[in-house]
Amino acid sequence: MEKARKKVTAPEAGQWPDKVLLPALVAGAVLTTVGFLMAFLYAAPVNGAALSTPQLVGDNMVTNQQLLSQKIFYFHMPVAIVSFVALILAVYYGIRFLMTREARFDTCSRAAMEVALLFVIFTMVTGDLWTRFEWGVWWTWEPRLTTYLILMLIVIAYFVLRNAVDDPERRATYSGVISIIALVDVPICFMITRLIPSSIHPVVTREGGMAPDMALTVALIMVGMLLVAFALYRLRFRQLRLAERMQALKDQLED
Amino acid sequence: MNPILADMYSTVIPSAPFIIGAYAIVWLALLVYVIIVVRGLKKTEEQMALLEEAIAKKTE
Amino acid sequence: MNTPSTFRQYVTLLKKDLRQEFRTREMLTSMGIYALLVIIVYGAALALTARGIDIAHMGGGLLWVLIVFTSLLGLGRSFAHEKEQGCLEGILLVPLDRSVVYLAKATANILFMLAVEVIAVPLFYFFFMTGEPAAPTLPAIVVPLLVGTVGMAGIGTMLSTITINTGSKDVLLAVLFIPIIYPLLYACVTATTAAITGTEFWTDFYVMPLVLACGYDIVMLLVCWVLYDFVVSA
Repeated sequence: MEKARKKVTAPEAGQWPDKVLLPALVAGAVLTTVGFLMAFLYAAPVNGAALSTPQLVGDNMVTNQQLLSQKIFYFHMPVAIVSFVALILAVYYGIRFLMTREARFDTCSRAAMEVALLFVIFTMVTGDLWTRFEWGVWWTWEPRLTTYLILMLIVIAYFVLRNAVDDPERRATYSGVISIIALVDVPICFMITRLIPSSIHPVVTREGGMAPDMALTVALIMVGMLLVAFALYRLRFRQLRLAERMQALKDQLED
Repeated sequence: MNPILADMYSTVIPSAPFIIGAYAIVWLALLVYVIIVVRGLKKTEEQMALLEEAIAKKTE
Repeated sequence: MNTPSTFRQYVTLLKKDLRQEFRTREMLTSMGIYALLVIIVYGAALALTARGIDIAHMGGGLLWVLIVFTSLLGLGRSFAHEKEQGCLEGILLVPLDRSVVYLAKATANILFMLAVEVIAVPLFYFFFMTGEPAAPTLPAIVVPLLVGTVGMAGIGTMLSTITINTGSKDVLLAVLFIPIIYPLLYACVTATTAAITGTEFWTDFYVMPLVLACGYDIVMLLVCWVLYDFVVSA
């Protein structure tokens, strides 16, 4: 029976991803820093309300107010996408755990979920400060905001659940199941809050398309943030794994 | 200063605290997470020392 | 030895839950009293505004708050007997499909919640909504109530199976339950409010949310049905 089961290669500290960990971290730091500088120095400011009369600045005719608040967007959007990538990774490892019962997949899932929570918090903070300035309110029940709040609450609930269960096998199973439910729930939540017509909640439409300079900046920061997230995930995984191995050794010694 | 120019950049100064705040909080949160990871590492190192002691005692 | 059909197993398990409840009436009484207490809290909360507020637009939301908290109470209790008497282990020793256990338990929870709603909704109407003539579309609230109850009981059964084995089970159930049912709640509140107000274009706010809520029910019940085996065997 045991032999018939296909051997699964579980992730372990020291495998190939750890070899690229340091380069990834450095590259991520460089890219995000460059992107940060580009956001403020290179990308053109976006237009706000129209001016009463156009004004010549340098060689350009400027017809609208120049907005600085939009600079938040350069980090907000990449961070939001990375948070979703991390969530999908966590669910993937959750499913792998449920299929193989290999505890290391659960450790992966947990580390990825922590990174997801971190990036969800980034998204909430940047988004909310932008909302506060542009819309003048700290909170509004707009579909994107609501969905992210719900996502954040589910991820927090995931960790509350983890803390409440002592048996490792059981904890891993429950976490895997909850992560799958979370991944299914979030798109539905977005769809429902968006599709239901409402007289109270304004549906915010963004201007479509990005200018090349904006797109380039966003792309750089996105790649940088992905690398940073990967490095954080891998770092956390190694640390958790080390603690687990330590615990196993201790248990062995006590026997 | 030209009033139209002033109008053009009128939202820059009021929005600055929010932008600085957003970037600062992101940076801080990142730092906090790294600190959590490093603390976990330190805890493991302490346990490692305990384990070494226990093994030394056993082999004596 | 021939094993009984899946449907027979389902009916037997469902009957077991119902018989247990009819013997003690523990869950129904506690849920009913809790619903009444929430209504009393509403009475105090709205004491100064009761004359002026637009109860038709608030009624749907308040009704769903009542249902969410009452069902949380019921769901938290739904596995308590099994846990205390080691009954779930007994059921799991029998070679039957785990999803049958889920379906039977979820059906029992739906029935209990519906029974409580049958009492709570008229009470809510009696205490808060008799001030103004009811809209002719009021009976249409039955459909969102039904769709919402099915979804909440489905998810809730799954989550209470998970939380029953943890330390702080009631708090944890709420922490998991409320964010996960949020989309369903939002859709159902919209549909219920549309039915209560019954304004000219009320179907715009009624049909679409109901379709989405049904979609949520189907997707979530399928996910729970598939994953239940893992949860209950852990």
